[in-house]
Amino acid sequence: MKNNDVKTLAKGSDKAVDMVLKLLKEKLSKYNVRISRAVANNLIVDVSRRHLRDVAKIVHNELGAYVRTCVGCDERNKNGCFAVYHIFGLDDYGVNVIVRTLAPANDVKVPSIADIAPGADWCELEFRDLLGINVTGRPVYRLILPEDWPDDLHPLRKDVPYGVRPPPVKREEVTLTELESPGIPVGPYHPALHEPEYFELYVEGETIIDVRYRGFHIHRGIEKLGESKLTYKQIPFIAERICGICGFCHSTCYVMAVEKAAKIEVPERAEFIRAIVLEIERIHSHLLWLGVACHLLGYDAGFMHTWRIREAIMKLAEYLTGSRKTYGINIIGGVRKDINKEKIQNVLKTLDHIEREVKELLDMMLSVPEVKRRLTGTGILTRGEARKLSVVGPVARASGLNRDVRKDYPYLAYKYVSFKVPVYTEGDNLSRTLVRVEEIFESISIIRQLLDRLPSGDIKVEKYEIEPDKVSTASVEAPRGEDIHFLITGKGRPYRWKVRAPTYQNIPALRPMLREQMLADAPITIASIDPCFSCTDRVIVIETRNGKVVSVKRINIVKLSRRRWPQNEVSKALRSS
Amino acid sequence: MKFLKLFVVAKKAGTVTRKYPFEEPLITEEFRGEIKIDPEKCVGCGACTLICPPSALTMRDEGNVRLIRYFVGRCIFCGMCAEVCPTNAITITKEFELATLDIDDLLRDLLHKRVKCRICGRPFLTTKLIKYANKDIPGSDNYADVCPECRSKLSIKNILKYRGDLDV
Repeated sequence: MKNNDVKTLAKGSDKAVDMVLKLLKEKLSKYNVRISRAVANNLIVDVSRRHLRDVAKIVHNELGAYVRTCVGCDERNKNGCFAVYHIFGLDDYGVNVIVRTLAPANDVKVPSIADIAPGADWCELEFRDLLGINVTGRPVYRLILPEDWPDDLHPLRKDVPYGVRPPPVKREEVTLTELESPGIPVGPYHPALHEPEYFELYVEGETIIDVRYRGFHIHRGIEKLGESKLTYKQIPFIAERICGICGFCHSTCYVMAVEKAAKIEVPERAEFIRAIVLEIERIHSHLLWLGVACHLLGYDAGFMHTWRIREAIMKLAEYLTGSRKTYGINIIGGVRKDINKEKIQNVLKTLDHIEREVKELLDMMLSVPEVKRRLTGTGILTRGEARKLSVVGPVARASGLNRDVRKDYPYLAYKYVSFKVPVYTEGDNLSRTLVRVEEIFESISIIRQLLDRLPSGDIKVEKYEIEPDKVSTASVEAPRGEDIHFLITGKGRPYRWKVRAPTYQNIPALRPMLREQMLADAPITIASIDPCFSCTDRVIVIETRNGKVVSVKRINIVKLSRRRWPQNEVSKALRSS
Repeated sequence: MKFLKLFVVAKKAGTVTRKYPFEEPLITEEFRGEIKIDPEKCVGCGACTLICPPSALTMRDEGNVRLIRYFVGRCIFCGMCAEVCPTNAITITKEFELATLDIDDLLRDLLHKRVKCRICGRPFLTTKLIKYANKDIPGSDNYADVCPECRSKLSIKNILKYRGDLDV
């Protein structure tokens, strides 16, 4: 009966929030918690450090919430404490449960929940690095800051000014013995990867047995910049530059968070235009990915042709917004560029053309025997693992999780259109490809529906006031999965602004995906989550002097390969040929 | 054998690349490039420098001169400045081939003359801005050439004089 109730419920509505509130009160009655409503579909649960783990257990395991992210915040000038916000998402209700824990400034530590909810693994390390909030009960290591960054300097603390560049700390040289590093280093710069990240693949023969990841080479300090230098109105433009591919998702996500916090009623027409541009972005991103996947599989003809078709979409984006990428049309309160009748006609015409071409090409591409064989059965992510790690986007949908922010946490104009969310259960590279292929056609249909129903009226509101100290979140289904922006409003600029890009949640899933795989399938498997490292990394440019570690490993590889092919055998083989 | 259809696809598509820069670049009519500031229309109010998200447009006051500087190197081509300009002095061009070996080529400077306060003699707004304001707000020319600080003093003095509380 309860399930039926949930099914008919409008997700994210006031009624849904009240239901979750009641449910939480019932479940958490044993513990000393205070549950309050924040703006829109957010609930805040204040809990002491002692009960954090119990509450997390109930919310994550019993209520079936996904970990969306966790955020550390320096609130010493407000209440003398550091705060940690664990954001859980109840997909069935479309409600966020934000669990807030305070740690006093003289005892800055919180218990870890990473063993209960593995999806929180990285973000715990993140606030440990950036805010110096210690996490107890789990192995800790440096995730985001470079190795030569001083131990006691935490850049996101409010007493650290923007732009601090401490001299690098000299550390003892790391020399790895042969036994410790039988790894194959992939990256930070590698032809199979398109952005700087570092994977270490441990192999036995040709089979991968384990993976280690070191990323955050391009942490750019965007959150600190937003909290200390920029104003509310400037941030949409820098948010758009978090990612070069799904930038509009980030700017939409940010403006939506601010609009929710300030209770700004955005005109419907603006919501439609934003949704149209978001879908255009999804089509171009998926086509880009399909091209890259073909390229990695050695099928360059497919790569060239998908990118040829993508060019028409890029031009469409420029036609509607004024720029191929970084559209720059999002502002708080609406959009800057309108779509007129002539444009609608032209867009529809181009879409028809693109749909025909994509259908023809993809149909042919996926029938290429090599492409099919390389994708089928490789890089499997089981449903259980996917659920445990709270993966998002096409990766989740290919592993049998029916998760889509557009349906689960309705935003913008998506409630006015009907579309299908493709879900596959195999969890291999082929299903991830097929999810994206189907989404391209769904997006085309969504744009058609939106253009058809485009309401008249204004495209922006210009007068609004943003009150400080409001906690708000917004999420957008980016091509790679769910983007989430967490915002605490301040005076003139956000007090805390945290960005979580989808790849952040998906990279940990690479470990189960790559294990027991052939080494040759590693590039396509890594690419199958459509990794976008720029948006995952976000924050400070500092040269890491890891060169030595990498070069040691290269020597190791040379040594290893010599051992497998001793010199005399090689020369013998050469002589006999 | 379906994959052989690639030849059909390729044949249909033909050549899609262009011999740029020998041919026209592929940009649409909506493209936003470098901005142009019309020195005739610009009044030096500085609205564009306040809205500019990356601070590519900056304003500096020095002595009798106000400098509006546009640094193309920082510009993100969003066109917000053109939207706020009260006199429509800023237009968005389609110019995007802006790479240069000399960074000074990327600076566009516009100088405005500032008016001296009739009372204290300190320069404050630009001549053109005052002319522009007088055009829209009738009766403001009495106070137009007085700086904000002296203006508040002056108006209080005038009010008091009118009420007869002050013997002048």
